[in-house]
Amino acid sequence: MSCANVMKRDRTAVINPLVTCQPMGAMYAVAGIRRGLPLVHGSQGCSTFVRYSFSRHFREPSEIAVTSLHEDAAVFGGRKNLISGIGNLATRFKPSVIGAISTCSSEIIGDDMEGFIKIAREELKQKMGASEADKIKIVPISTPSFVENHFKGYDNAIKSLVNNLAEDPTDPNGKINIIPGIVNPGDIREIKHILSLMGVEGIVLTDISDPFDSPLRPSVTETKPFYPKGGTAVEEIFDSSNSLGTISLCGYAGSGAQSLEKKYNVPAAVGPIPIGVQNTDHFIRNLKKFTDLEVPDSILDERGLLIDSMADLSSRYLFGRKVAIFGDPAIIAGIARFICELGMIPSVVCTGVENPEFVSEMETVAKESDEPVDVMIGSDLRALEVRLEEDPVELMIGHSDGRLFAKQLDIPLIRVGYPVYDRVGYHRIPIVGYNGSVNLIDRITNTVFEKYYDKEHWKLQQ
Amino acid sequence: MQINGHLMQNKNNSHQQDCVTEDGKISSSDLANIEVLKRSEMDIRVPEIPAGIINTLKSRKKHMCVKKDGTNSIPSCNEASVPGMVTQRSCVYGGARVVLMPITDAIHLVHGPLGCASCTWDIRGTRSSGSELYRNGFSTDLQERDIVFGGEKKLLETIIELNQIFEPAAIFVYATCVVGLIGDDLKMVCIEAGKITGSRVIPVQSEGFRSVNKSLGHQLACDALLDHLIGTEPPQNKGNANRKGLEDQQNTDHSLNILGEFNVAGDFWAIKPLLEKIGVSIQAVVTGDSTVEEIAQANLAQLNLVQCQKSSRYLADAMEELYNIPQIRVNFFGVEETSASLRAIAKFFNDPQMMETVEKIIKSGTEGVEESIIPYHQRLSGKKVAVYVGGNKAWSLIRAFEELGMEVLLTGTQNGLPEDYQRIKETVRDGTLVVDDANAMELARLLGKYKPDLMVSGAKEKYLSLKMGVAFCDFNHDRISAFAGFEGFLNFAREVDRAVSSPVWNHSPKIKAPAKPEILTAKSIENNQKGGD
Repeated sequence: MSCANVMKRDRTAVINPLVTCQPMGAMYAVAGIRRGLPLVHGSQGCSTFVRYSFSRHFREPSEIAVTSLHEDAAVFGGRKNLISGIGNLATRFKPSVIGAISTCSSEIIGDDMEGFIKIAREELKQKMGASEADKIKIVPISTPSFVENHFKGYDNAIKSLVNNLAEDPTDPNGKINIIPGIVNPGDIREIKHILSLMGVEGIVLTDISDPFDSPLRPSVTETKPFYPKGGTAVEEIFDSSNSLGTISLCGYAGSGAQSLEKKYNVPAAVGPIPIGVQNTDHFIRNLKKFTDLEVPDSILDERGLLIDSMADLSSRYLFGRKVAIFGDPAIIAGIARFICELGMIPSVVCTGVENPEFVSEMETVAKESDEPVDVMIGSDLRALEVRLEEDPVELMIGHSDGRLFAKQLDIPLIRVGYPVYDRVGYHRIPIVGYNGSVNLIDRITNTVFEKYYDKEHWKLQQ
Repeated sequence: MQINGHLMQNKNNSHQQDCVTEDGKISSSDLANIEVLKRSEMDIRVPEIPAGIINTLKSRKKHMCVKKDGTNSIPSCNEASVPGMVTQRSCVYGGARVVLMPITDAIHLVHGPLGCASCTWDIRGTRSSGSELYRNGFSTDLQERDIVFGGEKKLLETIIELNQIFEPAAIFVYATCVVGLIGDDLKMVCIEAGKITGSRVIPVQSEGFRSVNKSLGHQLACDALLDHLIGTEPPQNKGNANRKGLEDQQNTDHSLNILGEFNVAGDFWAIKPLLEKIGVSIQAVVTGDSTVEEIAQANLAQLNLVQCQKSSRYLADAMEELYNIPQIRVNFFGVEETSASLRAIAKFFNDPQMMETVEKIIKSGTEGVEESIIPYHQRLSGKKVAVYVGGNKAWSLIRAFEELGMEVLLTGTQNGLPEDYQRIKETVRDGTLVVDDANAMELARLLGKYKPDLMVSGAKEKYLSLKMGVAFCDFNHDRISAFAGFEGFLNFAREVDRAVSSPVWNHSPKIKAPAKPEILTAKSIENNQKGGD
């Protein structure tokens, strides 16, 4: 048992940021809706750079519209841009949902998004007829860029979607709502796999697994405009109030679950992300609790396969190795716990956010660690680099943005989370659930082989 | 419909008439045109461009046209994007950032909320032979309290702090939308910070919403260089070690700057040996693989070469006015353009020896390429290309594709200005589609309808193109091969070939077996026209 040394960034400047601003999280959330389109109420860069970032990571197209605010809007307000933007988007793209996402500019100008949306809705009704216009849901999402970070933006978006779209409960649907957080397509598919083994249907709020990993199969893709296959159907969001429970995988993304609980008595469970044995067990227990279903053998077998790999690999190659983990607060807290389960030491855990949920999760992890854990919050990559220069570790686990100093410090970097743009396939391979944890342990062990073992003698290690 | 000499008779055609409408509704003023077009079909066998380019918003139709001989052939441009479209454009800050970011030994500090820096640090594949400082992302991370009380104090603190940690050759401070809205006085803070730190602190007034497209950002970046760097001494004798001495200056007869070369994937390193061989010395590259002090001395050069005319034409004009430095446009993409550019440099210096060397280099360069290019040429000949890029490449790549026997079916830019489209018009052959600010849906429709064999664009368009079943070649910040110069042309041919000839397209339902259309060149049109007359 050890303790968590919580430390904040000790300078004003942010150098090599670990987080971005709120709208990005909201764009990610809306992109997971079938025929859902994010409409960013801001400058063109606000959508363009995020699209670029999504494309770089997922290697997929991403359609994000923008109201193109210019100087006149800064003076007179963005009313005209938002209303005509909604009108154009609705008539040309026929989306199911338009997520109208605010930015720093529109928040500072003081645009009344909800009011503008009402006007836009009326105009649409006149233009398209009430029944057609009603099919297009317009959800305002407030994401001021100068408050918190993209994780908060994701949370705000899911909350707005649920609050605006979930309908009053009718009949229980026997389903489980899953709020995945900013995870990869592979992770969402793994969660859906677990649900299917349990024999329960899920409503994923929202499901980017197909939109951000879609087949090149034009017959199933609507190309004009480009809408990818899959995503959460808007009817599923309507229905989310009838579910047995909501599980939010990530600690930062609990507001939507809590809102469903408060408004419609759908019980909520928030975090921790199911990575490693204990966290996945916790997730399965939540499923069992909400559904009253027995855990099937198939799931116990998957758990057994994970324990089997751990027994094989951890003591021989991994035990006692020091690791630095950085990035998404939920993912790194989950990985840190798994690292402890493997007998390794999460020496440094570094994130750009200052969430209390993260700190309390890390305090739990520190109790399970043999050595103290440095928990860097509100931090950046430069701070981590300086910390690792002073006191190196044997492995780094995090996203691609850490690759430059990892190379400089000669510490191997195991890539997880978002963004990973200098390796392929990582968005497809899950790291959640028992199966995902096996992938992670393989990835870690292979990296240890590459770096710390004589390659020609691997077989001798048996 | 296609184009021939008959159209010349319609001199009073406005450019509106160049822009073919989708819905088939024809105004009376178009009727004469249609008649001519029908006749022209008999004259020339060319790929057919149907009556409408694609189905799109009414207000967007004038942004697309077909280049025709003798008429205006320039789409409407430099207008605000339609709100609610998936524009491929960026903001003014983005424009300024791409121009200045390659300066290697500087800090590029973004004054605004974190996102503006988070999304843009180290995203340009511009390479450095020295400092790697430019690849870091710096932000003042403005928070709610800064929005209320102003961010000037925080900015000043940040600059002082960064200067202490990194001792950079300069700190560029970029304004974002928020800075414009809350009214921080960037210039004042930079002056004060400069006094305190003794460093070059350079404001870049690039508030994101200042213009409809990022071209203004290019200009504002150039303004920052003109107002605060070019022709200045380093403060308090800092940075002298990096400056060329007066002796070095006098030893070189022929010195030049290259403006608008960003060393993406090492392009500049492909050009540099060519220039060194012909005996010119490179004073500064603005801004690829450059240092702050090299650019500060850019005013000492005798000539400016302008590679990316889109971003740097403004800078070249200003330097011509301020420092009497003449400029010539160059283009190192493709054998023909590289040769022409080298000849133009030798001609400018009017040095017989240099001219001789240039001819030797062209000869050996061309010979080196000629044989190796044959297999690529064979496979690529007759294939159709769509080019959709930020600016310069919309015209500078055309000849290179033609050298590979390929036909440019469509070219366009996200944020071209009238002078850019003028260049495009001068470069492309008749019948080429020219599009301005095409949004994602329009691009999808253009690709779906005209089915090019290859799309050349950037990362955002890449996956849209692939999903439409169209092969893709990156010619933007993300590419990894240098394409400039003779050797670069081979790289270029190789990458284009890899994209187009990949067997994966045998499995795509959208792509038909490659047909061999008649290749349309300016010459073939001319011949046909002569025959017709």
